[in-house]
Amino acid sequence: MTVSVSTAQAPAVSVRNLTLGYGTRVLLENASFDVQRSEILVILGGSGSGKSSLMKVLIGLYRPLAGDVLIDGKSIVTARGDEKARLQRKLGVMYQSGALFGSMTTLENVRFPLDEFTDIALPEKNLTARMLLRQVEMGYAEALMPAELSGGMLKRAGIARAMALGADILMLDEPSAGLDPITAANLDRTILSLRANLGFTFVVVTHELNSIFTIADRAIMLDARSRAIIATGAPAKLRDSSNDPRVRQFFNREPDAVLRNAEI
Amino acid sequence: MTAARVAPAAGDGATIALEGRITAYTVAPIWRAALRTLERNPARPIVVDASRLEYVDDTGIALIFDLRRRPRPQGAEVTIENLAPNIAALVEGYDPKDFAESYRRPPPIGIAEHIGRATASVIADVRTMIGFIGECTAALWRAVGQPRTVRLAGVVAVAAEAGADAVPIVMLIGFLMGVIIAFEIGLVAQEFGAVIYVVNGVGVAMLRELGALMTAIVFAGRTGAAFAAQIGTQKVNEEVNAIVTFGLDPVRFLVLPRLLASALVVPLLSVLADVIGIFGGALVMLSFDIGFLQYYTQLLGAVHTKDFVLGLVKATVFGLVIAAIGCQRGLATGAGAAAVGRAATSTVVTSIVWIVVLDGLFTVLTSRWGV
Repeated sequence: MTVSVSTAQAPAVSVRNLTLGYGTRVLLENASFDVQRSEILVILGGSGSGKSSLMKVLIGLYRPLAGDVLIDGKSIVTARGDEKARLQRKLGVMYQSGALFGSMTTLENVRFPLDEFTDIALPEKNLTARMLLRQVEMGYAEALMPAELSGGMLKRAGIARAMALGADILMLDEPSAGLDPITAANLDRTILSLRANLGFTFVVVTHELNSIFTIADRAIMLDARSRAIIATGAPAKLRDSSNDPRVRQFFNREPDAVLRNAEI
Repeated sequence: MTAARVAPAAGDGATIALEGRITAYTVAPIWRAALRTLERNPARPIVVDASRLEYVDDTGIALIFDLRRRPRPQGAEVTIENLAPNIAALVEGYDPKDFAESYRRPPPIGIAEHIGRATASVIADVRTMIGFIGECTAALWRAVGQPRTVRLAGVVAVAAEAGADAVPIVMLIGFLMGVIIAFEIGLVAQEFGAVIYVVNGVGVAMLRELGALMTAIVFAGRTGAAFAAQIGTQKVNEEVNAIVTFGLDPVRFLVLPRLLASALVVPLLSVLADVIGIFGGALVMLSFDIGFLQYYTQLLGAVHTKDFVLGLVKATVFGLVIAAIGCQRGLATGAGAAAVGRAATSTVVTSIVWIVVLDGLFTVLTSRWGV
């Protein structure tokens, strides 16, 4: 990985004493964790544990109730205006439903950030966008409109668009949910290849167990009831040797009743 | 951070040296310079030296791939040297053949096709509208025959939202209509010393025309569009499909409550508009030295029950038509978020057209029949 020589010493993403929620409803209290450069961190947890909300705080869309989020050592929580926009451009974000712009073709969607922020000539921008689409196996859909794409295709095009500006921190919200197993596996391979060859950093929200074991270096697990990070570590290790029954239950895909019986 | 640089070397062949960090923000001039070097040396071999390349992102990879894929005559190939193996692996993952054809946006359709499509869609629209009117009539008929099958809670909920919540805006519009026509007619009538007949004008106009018309227009914008958006969103979220696969009829489930509620609420709102409009007229007439009592006496002689009933009938018909259009547009919503917006817009436009057309029809018929 000689190419990914980074001058920044700070972790790619650093979360400090973060409390997030809506109004009086707190989802997560006093959470801290770092994402190192070229690390693939998976955020997991049951439905309603605040995974997607945490992601939205990381990318500066929501303000946390307390605490701070540092991107390359700079706070995205307190940043304003241009400074915040600059920080956000370091992040490539794929939203749950792809969030493609409905009035543009798939290729134009991927080209859009290049149109807005670079002076690259049109044929070269088109080439870059098409190569990005090939990377997520969407080359055949370049001239289609988003309304003509399936959910999985929208997600993959969303990833291609997130990478277009060369953001080396990619935030993916449920990338493999709703994809067929082959496409999901291909997507995992794409993520691993981007990390291996370009040194990208990934923060991935997911609860697809296969995907977690394949890609994650480290997982943090949120829990709705305790409103905290209840586990941090390599997924296989968490599954095999966590002391917390909730964590083992999650990784072994056990229904609630089994857990209660086991505890009795 | 080293600035990336292209350095075409002198000598037999040309060399392009890629240095430093190549990212989306820095790649544009490098790309241009590199392509210029290729163009200026059509017959000479070109060496791309990547030994001092520190970092590339996807645009940098595209650049290297682009240089490599350009068709060149034999002996003038582009060779890339000293490329880090991981980048080379990424570049080699792409096949130049896949990118031989340049990207073309799907061409916009021509005028003839546009006209053809528009005609076809109008015809299809009329057909579905006729079918829909049939379904609605059947549903209404069933509802009259078996009132128990009507979801009364749904009717009340829609009526509350479409009716009670619309009271302030209907009052405001009705009041202003009364004030405006009283004032306009008053100014003209004053010249002929016929100010007292302004009362007749206001009374007849509000009861027969404006009460129902203005209420219907407000209702189309406020509630018709909301019907289309609600049902359209349910269609997009496959809720309508869920209703159908339960063996339920979406017309009975979604449309009927809205039709009934609208037929109930629009006449009520129009009565409110009538009353408040006539009151607005009375306020204006004070400035023409006509007191409340005189206004009231004149009004009783000027308007008749049939005027009031005609207004009610119109309002009921308008309500039914607006609700039907809103629901139909909602059920016909296509895919995507934009489709919901289109359904709402189309509802308002179609409703207003139909309101005016029907109002004209009412005027012709009532004058024929001497109502």
